[in-house]
Amino acid sequence: MKNFSINHRTRSGYSVIDLHGELDAHTASQLEDALKDLINQKKCNIIVNCAELEYIASAGLGVFMAYIEDVRADGGDIKLTNMSDKVYNVFDLLGFPALYDILKDESDAIDNFNS
Amino acid sequence: MTSSTNPEENNSRFELKTVLETTRMLLESRSKDFILQNLLLIIMGKLLVPKAGILLFDNKTGLYTLSKIKGSFNFEQNDTVDLAFSKTNKSKSHVTYDMCQDNVPNLISDMDGSIFFNLRTVNRHIGYLFISKKAVDKPIQQSELEFIESLSIISSAAIANSEMFDELKATNQNLDHRIHELNTLFDLSKEFNLLVDREKISRIFKFALLGQLFVRSFFLLYKNTDSVEVLASSNLSNPILDSTAVSIFELTENVVEVNTNLADSFPLLKQNDIAALIEISIQNKKIAVIGVGKRANNKPFTDSDFNFLRSLSNLAIISIQKTYLLEERIEKERIEEELSIAKAIQDGLLPNPIPAVDGLDLSAITLSSSQVGGDYFDIAQTPDSNYVFAIADVTGKGYPAALLMANLQSMLHVLLPVDITLATATERINNLIFKNTPSDKFITFFWGKFLKDKKIFRYVNAGHNPPLHLPKNSTQFQEMDKGGLLLGALQTMTPYHETDIPLQKDDIVVLYTDGVNEAQNPDGDEEFGEDRLKECILKYRDRSAQYIQDQIIRKVNEFTRGHQFDDLTLLIFKVS
Repeated sequence: MKNFSINHRTRSGYSVIDLHGELDAHTASQLEDALKDLINQKKCNIIVNCAELEYIASAGLGVFMAYIEDVRADGGDIKLTNMSDKVYNVFDLLGFPALYDILKDESDAIDNFNS
Repeated sequence: MTSSTNPEENNSRFELKTVLETTRMLLESRSKDFILQNLLLIIMGKLLVPKAGILLFDNKTGLYTLSKIKGSFNFEQNDTVDLAFSKTNKSKSHVTYDMCQDNVPNLISDMDGSIFFNLRTVNRHIGYLFISKKAVDKPIQQSELEFIESLSIISSAAIANSEMFDELKATNQNLDHRIHELNTLFDLSKEFNLLVDREKISRIFKFALLGQLFVRSFFLLYKNTDSVEVLASSNLSNPILDSTAVSIFELTENVVEVNTNLADSFPLLKQNDIAALIEISIQNKKIAVIGVGKRANNKPFTDSDFNFLRSLSNLAIISIQKTYLLEERIEKERIEEELSIAKAIQDGLLPNPIPAVDGLDLSAITLSSSQVGGDYFDIAQTPDSNYVFAIADVTGKGYPAALLMANLQSMLHVLLPVDITLATATERINNLIFKNTPSDKFITFFWGKFLKDKKIFRYVNAGHNPPLHLPKNSTQFQEMDKGGLLLGALQTMTPYHETDIPLQKDDIVVLYTDGVNEAQNPDGDEEFGEDRLKECILKYRDRSAQYIQDQIIRKVNEFTRGHQFDDLTLLIFKVS
């Protein structure tokens, strides 16, 4: 088992998911479960903190693609924060900044939600 | 006289300084826009030119794009124009509008006095720097022309640099993209190898596809032996109909870009914004079709994207095929395992070893054509210390026959200790079998009891091939055919009959099933028959029961050339 883990918490009323380690084909389903869980609870304002995310593969990005519409349909959004350059490059390479808010940190994301 | 007091020298020093500063600034810059902007502003400011623009040459079209303009032009920025300069003019470092005879469009309202400066590097024409006449009524001086030409040369180099840099950047990004695709494939092939769960494989496939291609909707159709199934999909508005899946699978060849016509004929394509259908082949055989929706950023798909899709789909399909094969193998192994357990159980129902019976030389064998069979024989002791010999053949083969055979065996053993006649016991067995089995299942059955003190063989034949009795000193076989109806066909109406035949030393009795007499030659047009059986018994009548048995089997095998079609059972005894 690779070292990947997800932590849930709440900040200023927003759901925050902390990603740790490597998000790839093997671990993508864990992120899927976490997102599905939040969507089922109608917690659709989601901040994904990538500070501890070391690597992301396409399958990991695919999970975000698969659920963004559900989240937005419920009036929410997924905002990504605290990305390392290495991780950001992958998002950028595949064109994700066009569709997702990628922000410096959680406070920015919260401001963004509030505005 | 100091240099600062000479205005001309002062001016040229200023120009030199500008050229140097500009050089440094331009060469350090990686942004084309910045370079063009500065070139225009420096020249406009220094020469008091109210209108200037950069026209960049497009190699493919042969036209010029107004990449940057300052002041009032007759064109918008980024418009394209045709500058039909003559060959001679093209080779000049600058072309004065007033002097040239060429067909040049009116870039500005008053073209008089305007000049085109050639922007070029050693090996390439980049375009033109265009300037109008000065705002003040003064012609452009020779020194000013030289100044602009110097700047043009530097700027050309800078533009070429920045273009190269952009190209390099694009190439690099392309390369990064390819590497990422490879990583994705590598990542998945590793993951798929570990997976036997089809649902999980198709989910990971889905995520990798969505993430890598930046799409939201897709479907993967897979051609099975007799249908087209949806292996994976995402974000479809409705489930895919079987007929639609088949039609789309059939119509897709190589890559089909979905146009309005096609979208109108298939709501599936229209509703889900499917942009392209791609054929997936393994060893030149179309096995799957994938439809992908528009990209989230509306960028068109490239050949390289389609190739990636093919590789990814291939990987997933092979993994999924692998899971089917694995399941088949497990299922086959399970069935084989069950079958061998069943065979062991059935073997346990037959007497093993064949008991030694006082006063008889005895041999018996059964050979099943499939692993479990419907033939049965038994040799069992009765409470009066005599022995019963039974043989039976259940209709059909395999499991159903084996079950019924086991049923018969248990009845027989339950009834043996009960003090009733063979005829009554047969009647009870018949009634039970009739009750327990469907009407198309029945059993031919024969059994007999050897009363050793009286040397009498008492038998009941319920529809079985008549066993053969060969009395000593006779070449005529007696057929033991009396008894009653075969078992399980009808409720007992008329009672079964028992028949006694006296036996003497060296008499031979042969019980057999139709696997012997109905064994067929390889052409299937001739049966082994009773005559060959009798011939064999006569020939070896002086040998042991075991020997006679072995010879019969050898003859049957010779006749069929080793192709056994039915279960075969023999029970032979010789009075000693």
